[in-house]
Amino acid sequence: MSAGASNPEYVNARVRSRRASLFADEDYRKLVRMGPSEIARFMEETEYEREINALGARFSGVDLIEYALNRNLAKHFQDLLDWSEGRLYDHIARYLRKFDVWNLKTIFRGIYTDTDPEEIRTDLIRAGELEDATIERLLETDSIEDAIEFLRATSYYEPLTVAYEEFEDHGALVPLENALDREFYENLLADVSRGPSAEPQEGPEAKYVEFLQAEIDFRNVRNALRLARSGADLDPAAYYIDGGVLFDRADLGRLVGDYDALVDHIAENKRYGDRLSGALERLRDADSLIQFEHALDAALLEYADTLSSIYPTSVSAVLSYILAKEREVENIRAIARGREVGLDETEIEEELVIL
Amino acid sequence: MAKDVKPTRKNLMEIEDRIELSERGHGTLEKKRDGLIMEFMDILDKAQDVRGDLAQDYQNAQKKINMARAMEGDVAVRGAAAALQEHPEITTESKNIMGVVVPQIESSRVSKSLDQRGYGIMGTSARIDEAAEAYEDLLESIILAAEVETAMKKMLREIETTKRRVNALEFKLLPDLYEGQEYIEQKLEEQEREETFRLKKIKEKKEQAEKEEREAEEAEAEDEDEVAPDDESGDTAEPDMEQSTAGGVPGGD
Repeated sequence: MSAGASNPEYVNARVRSRRASLFADEDYRKLVRMGPSEIARFMEETEYEREINALGARFSGVDLIEYALNRNLAKHFQDLLDWSEGRLYDHIARYLRKFDVWNLKTIFRGIYTDTDPEEIRTDLIRAGELEDATIERLLETDSIEDAIEFLRATSYYEPLTVAYEEFEDHGALVPLENALDREFYENLLADVSRGPSAEPQEGPEAKYVEFLQAEIDFRNVRNALRLARSGADLDPAAYYIDGGVLFDRADLGRLVGDYDALVDHIAENKRYGDRLSGALERLRDADSLIQFEHALDAALLEYADTLSSIYPTSVSAVLSYILAKEREVENIRAIARGREVGLDETEIEEELVIL
Repeated sequence: MAKDVKPTRKNLMEIEDRIELSERGHGTLEKKRDGLIMEFMDILDKAQDVRGDLAQDYQNAQKKINMARAMEGDVAVRGAAAALQEHPEITTESKNIMGVVVPQIESSRVSKSLDQRGYGIMGTSARIDEAAEAYEDLLESIILAAEVETAMKKMLREIETTKRRVNALEFKLLPDLYEGQEYIEQKLEEQEREETFRLKKIKEKKEQAEKEEREAEEAEAEDEDEVAPDDESGDTAEPDMEQSTAGGVPGGD
């Protein structure tokens, strides 16, 4: 938690200049025609130069691109945390905790499979709030129990302790990973919204809450559809994340068993129905959820863009930049990996890239 | 081979026994070979289907994992894969197809539900689910292909062995035995003929000897009769002449 007054104007001014250096549509059109080494070369002439040069001796090909992208992403998001103060810092940090969750999951998986700490270290994206010293200490631990103990001072400690008992019973990481993700999503709205009656009704904060609710709703939608498709005998309530407007726990439990009703429920929602109508139509006929997830990602990005243009100096603009940067990283990685495995330009453009 | 066998009646009987056994074995093996070929054709059809499915599953799995690696990143896919330590279990049993022991592979814990794959559901996407599912299907196909193709190879080996045995009986062992049988039979017949001839000869010689003896006795008796009535020289010349004639017959034979 950062002390002091919020400084959205300053942060937004910096963010705007950063946003200007994001790849344009034209750059993507060039990239989809390049091979992995050409993409790396192209990136060397952009703002990814430092990361490409720093990692060039250790990695090559698409791995180099992916690690450079991750490192650059971490640097940019750390800058956001460094610039911001007060309530703005809290908002940004709360969103960037998803990288803490990513790192913790990666470390747990590494400990679980007895992987060399150096290998785990390369897979981390240090864009979150956890300090480097904490991460380094976690990397040196030999057991998941010790790692959880190191997190005693964080908000993850309590849910992890509860989930650890289940982990001990079944030996699978699922409860620990779910506990971390739940902690992240359920804390997104903490201090901003305490239920429908306490929600801010207008202004930048209301839009920020709307965006976070969309993120939670979309996550619930993804999970509900995955559970419905899998046919596994799982309790949907265990995977429900509080805070969204699309479902309550009972709705989710009822709808998971009836796939068509679930899709209808999303389509009938005022807030998302129109935005996702095209994707929902495809979802009714398609076997795969991938295109729908693609549509959800695009819708979330569009949502954030709208929010940033309504209140250009609010936290929404920063979040919009975070999503745009993430999208850039995902697009470049998708193009590079797509080219590596021999996908043609049309396939990459249609299936991977969201402009 | 035939020349190595002693042409005795005992050996002939032995060879006849072996021929009977070999002919019976040849018939049985021919039936076994034909049965195995029919079973093999069934397995071959199944193996071709399984191979086709395997190739398709492999392509599908590769495509799914490539898409997952592209969209989620290699790090995320590797991480999700690392979240599970438990390996599928494979147990093998055997079943008998016309005397050929082929494996029967049972697998467990290959296809998993969403909560058994190790990675958390809330923080991952359908792309990883689909890649995991495609690889589970691929693994099932590999296990099935291993079972069918091992059975196919074992059947093929057994067909080859049976065919070699049938051919060895048909073109080597049985002809050799027939040759041996014929050789012994001919030899035995020849021996029989020789024996008959020998006996005949002995009999003839014996009869000749008896005849000569009889004649000699008769001549002697005549001589004694002649010496007793008179001592004329002309009388003594006749027996001499008879003697030389008698002696001349065997010589003239």
